[in-house]
Amino acid sequence: MAAGPYNYSYIFKYIIIGDMGVGKSCLLHQFTEKKFMADCPHTIGVEFGTRIIEVSGQKIKLQIWDTAGQERFRAVTRSYYRGAAGALMVYDITRRSTYNHLSSWLTDARNLTNPNTVIFLIGNKSDLEAQRDVTYEEAKQFADENGLMFLEASAKTGDNVEDAFLETARKIYQNIQDGSLDLNAAESGVQHKPSTGGRPNPLNTDQQPSNEGCRC
Amino acid sequence: MESMALHQETAYERLYRWTQGECRLLSSDSVEVSPLLCQAVQALQDRPVLFRYSLDEFGTARRTAVVRGFIDALTRGGPGGTPRPIELHSHDPLRYVGDMLAWLHQASASEKEHLQGLVKLATQQAGALQIYEILGHITEGVCRPFKVRVEQVLVSEPGPVILYKLANLLKFYHHTIGQLLGSDAVLLTTLAEVHELSQRMFYAALNAHAQRLMEKVELPPADLGATQSLNQSLALLREVLASHDSSVVPLDARQEDFAKVLSCVLDPLLQMCAVSASKLNPADMGVYMVNCIYAMQSTLALYEFTDQRLEMLAGQIEAHLDTIVSEQASYVLSRTGLSHIYSIIQQHQLKEGPLASIHGMDATTVRSAMSKFDSYLSSPDSLTMPQLNFLQSTSLRRTVHKRSTELVSAAYDFLYQAITNPSNGYKEPRSIVIRTPQQVKTLLS
Repeated sequence: MAAGPYNYSYIFKYIIIGDMGVGKSCLLHQFTEKKFMADCPHTIGVEFGTRIIEVSGQKIKLQIWDTAGQERFRAVTRSYYRGAAGALMVYDITRRSTYNHLSSWLTDARNLTNPNTVIFLIGNKSDLEAQRDVTYEEAKQFADENGLMFLEASAKTGDNVEDAFLETARKIYQNIQDGSLDLNAAESGVQHKPSTGGRPNPLNTDQQPSNEGCRC
Repeated sequence: MESMALHQETAYERLYRWTQGECRLLSSDSVEVSPLLCQAVQALQDRPVLFRYSLDEFGTARRTAVVRGFIDALTRGGPGGTPRPIELHSHDPLRYVGDMLAWLHQASASEKEHLQGLVKLATQQAGALQIYEILGHITEGVCRPFKVRVEQVLVSEPGPVILYKLANLLKFYHHTIGQLLGSDAVLLTTLAEVHELSQRMFYAALNAHAQRLMEKVELPPADLGATQSLNQSLALLREVLASHDSSVVPLDARQEDFAKVLSCVLDPLLQMCAVSASKLNPADMGVYMVNCIYAMQSTLALYEFTDQRLEMLAGQIEAHLDTIVSEQASYVLSRTGLSHIYSIIQQHQLKEGPLASIHGMDATTVRSAMSKFDSYLSSPDSLTMPQLNFLQSTSLRRTVHKRSTELVSAAYDFLYQAITNPSNGYKEPRSIVIRTPQQVKTLLS
């Protein structure tokens, strides 16, 4: 009997950032629950969700930290960028101001994560075409100039939501494969890598419990 | 049958040894709870003691991992130094403590997931209580290194504003992490303790500030405006209130300590103003106090939960305004010479004979006072107490003007009635008091 969904090989930590009301929590909800959450309350501080996905035959657990967009939480949410493997930066295609703030979010993301962190730009609310305030081409150009991956998505219809999360994971996985991500480093690091189910168990011992202990 | 039972026990024993060994290996940053381990834990449910031991073993391994991870995050940072070690920001108290708290929050969430993964199949034995107990154990190891660091920050006297923000931050995380752990987890107790300490340090810093104010009270400046120390204190209050405003703590909790902050700052300030005003004459004192309280009022008015205080301050301003108004009215009356006449009339009794025959009340004297009063009527601003120009609020200045002229015209009315009263023996009284009270009222309004 299989032990359910717990045999994943990697954990990737994501963070979702962007202005208030762009739909960060709704994107997360759509991704983890496959449902649209109307009347979503403002996020208080930071919340999180998980889902296990598969990339190139590997089970990967995404641990996603959804941050509050309100300015008053900035000081708190900044502390969550540490060790994120992926950052989803969200704006609302019907509100230009949320797009204009992207450079400030990007600065935070670049300063507070490590250079290998995959940053994915999401233009949310693509279902509201009639109210569009930011063109696809414009955002695409911004993404290209800054080396970001980019999609327009809709947390309401679910359109492209899955792709955004999965594309990010694929990119991270690719970075691991080509060695640009160092998995053996200490700290919460880039991401956790549980010893894979595929390899023989003894590999588990590659990291001896150290007696570094607590020096306080 | 007996040997079957024996075999079974041996099997459980072996399973337990194996599980124990597996759990011990789970002390690295990364955890994989293998399907096999999940099944083993499930099977061990039938032997509650062995089951419990296995979970304890897991807890101990994870506890070690969490402590090591925390210390690494503090001192080493990530691969190649990014993210940078948390301690690198120890000069910035909010960032330093905030990063530690966020780390603890994330670690608590991850550990809970690991544990839930482990006991996923063991539905009979693993109750919420037991999970909370193990989780409490896992997160206990980091308490000491965390607490020591926060205490270091708090005692380094970062100033009331930072202390206040730290207290709010700690409160926020006590709530946030509290949603993951059981209520008696040591980590939560630790958070509650450091929160309380930070709050105590904050109020101590405010009190120390107040004490310094009282130690050397400044004299009121020549323009009767707010003193420098008042302005500084209000700037401090403004900063605290502003960070209160943006604080991450829910509304009702904020309201709670708001009253305390206000009284910590305002009460000593009011006291200081009163002491510093004590040697002034009534008019100066009134204007000075109104200016000071007005400054406090304008500071508070911008923030929430200050209504009660504002009302109290308004009451105090009102009391001082009464003094200023009556000072201004008597200033006019005495400059025009009417106040003397007024008090004679007030004290006059019938048996002393008609007013006109009393010393100092003859028609000539009264007429000359009235002519002075008339020139005041032609330019009422000429008789404004110099102090009134120092009253900073223009609307209060208008109030004083309005109410003091009302007093003056009421006094004139009183004189007019007395002098035009035939029993007081003035011949041609209308040549003495040329204007009717109504005319005076109109001229002054």
